[in-house]
Amino acid sequence: MNYLADGFVQAFALLAAADAETFAAVLASLKTTALALTAAAALGIPAGFALGYGRFPGRRALRLVSDTLLAFPTVLIGLLVYAFVSRRGPLGEFGLLFTITGMAIGSAILAMPIAVSLTAQAVESLDPRVRDTAVTLGAGGWRVALTCLTETRYQVMLAMVAAFGRVITEVGIAMMLGGNIKWETRTITTAIALETGKGDFARGIALGFVLLAIAFAVNGMLVALRRRAAR
Amino acid sequence: MKALYAARNLVRRYGERVALRLDAFDIARGEAVAVTGANGAGKTTLLRLLAFLDEPDEGSIEFFGEPALEPRRQATLLLQEPYLFKRTVFENVAFGLRARHQTRELASKVSDALSVVGLEPRAFAQRQWFELSGGEIKRVALAARLVLAPLALLLDEPTANLDTASAEAVQQAVRVAKGRGAAVIVASHDRDWLGGLFDREIVLGGAGRN
Repeated sequence: MNYLADGFVQAFALLAAADAETFAAVLASLKTTALALTAAAALGIPAGFALGYGRFPGRRALRLVSDTLLAFPTVLIGLLVYAFVSRRGPLGEFGLLFTITGMAIGSAILAMPIAVSLTAQAVESLDPRVRDTAVTLGAGGWRVALTCLTETRYQVMLAMVAAFGRVITEVGIAMMLGGNIKWETRTITTAIALETGKGDFARGIALGFVLLAIAFAVNGMLVALRRRAAR
Repeated sequence: MKALYAARNLVRRYGERVALRLDAFDIARGEAVAVTGANGAGKTTLLRLLAFLDEPDEGSIEFFGEPALEPRRQATLLLQEPYLFKRTVFENVAFGLRARHQTRELASKVSDALSVVGLEPRAFAQRQWFELSGGEIKRVALAARLVLAPLALLLDEPTANLDTASAEAVQQAVRVAKGRGAAVIVASHDRDWLGGLFDREIVLGGAGRN
């Protein structure tokens, strides 16, 4: 059991000394996640709103697709994006494989169904009085829609926080599209996988702590948002 | 007085059930009309039709307001359980004026409306929606309608679950709106509260099946 205790001690030492390699992995994770979530929010929130608010043919089918994609295995996303961005793939010329951007594309695909489905769900379950109130106060079509979106803002934020948690903790996409390149595309999760494989528990545990701290902060935000949303 | 509303042969159905059946009536500007009847007699249905939130299955409602404006912008309904947007009291009351791009003297208009419903503007304007009691929510929602100076003010059970002070504030608001020339149409069970406030009564019977 000693190696475990030693691992913990060394982990704290690494974090306290602001070990460059450890923080490079943290930074890579945060960069990838930020890029992926920006893209997922920019495309997913409007799409989710349209699905939840609009009434058009094929809406139910699209909802079903989006809900099904919630369970999309990350290695499969990795495989598909790999096929597109690898040198022989249709997007090969852009050199996206083994880059932060490449990982972010995969992660955005992972986050998108979460943003779409949870936004759509929030809009669908919106109190019908919101629409009535906006209309009877004289709002036109666009303002009514915008009001419905702003009234679901806490649920939408909740969706993005959930997506954040999903993206930052996944391994498959980061491994396949990032390639676990030290100082560049090595993320928290791929570093943990690698260090554990090498038997270097200390760095693995140190990174695990960072991941846990992030998860803890994210969860704190979730709780606070849920409380707000329930009001 | 010139008619604001002229309604003829209104029928509204929900599935098989006839929710409302009403022959004909006119309502003039400046008139206060009480809509009474048992639960399920169609009071809310009638108010939703008059607010243009819903359309009759048969019959017609003519509205002789400002021809340049949508009727929906001249008639406004206070729901039985009003909804406040997740914003401050000020933003809730200002919502309709912003929707009309009437933002000149916004602050003073909002303050006036809050005063009419008996809420001290300085104490309430910046409160959040979740910091209000049931009675205060209803009063803020009422202020959000009064500030629009509507031609028709429609109130659905405005005194349900209200304390005396809030009920009196609503009464005051009805007087103010009527004094400004609005038609005030109120659905209520509360005979004491309706009292001498109203010029006329529309009694709805059970519409039954058809």
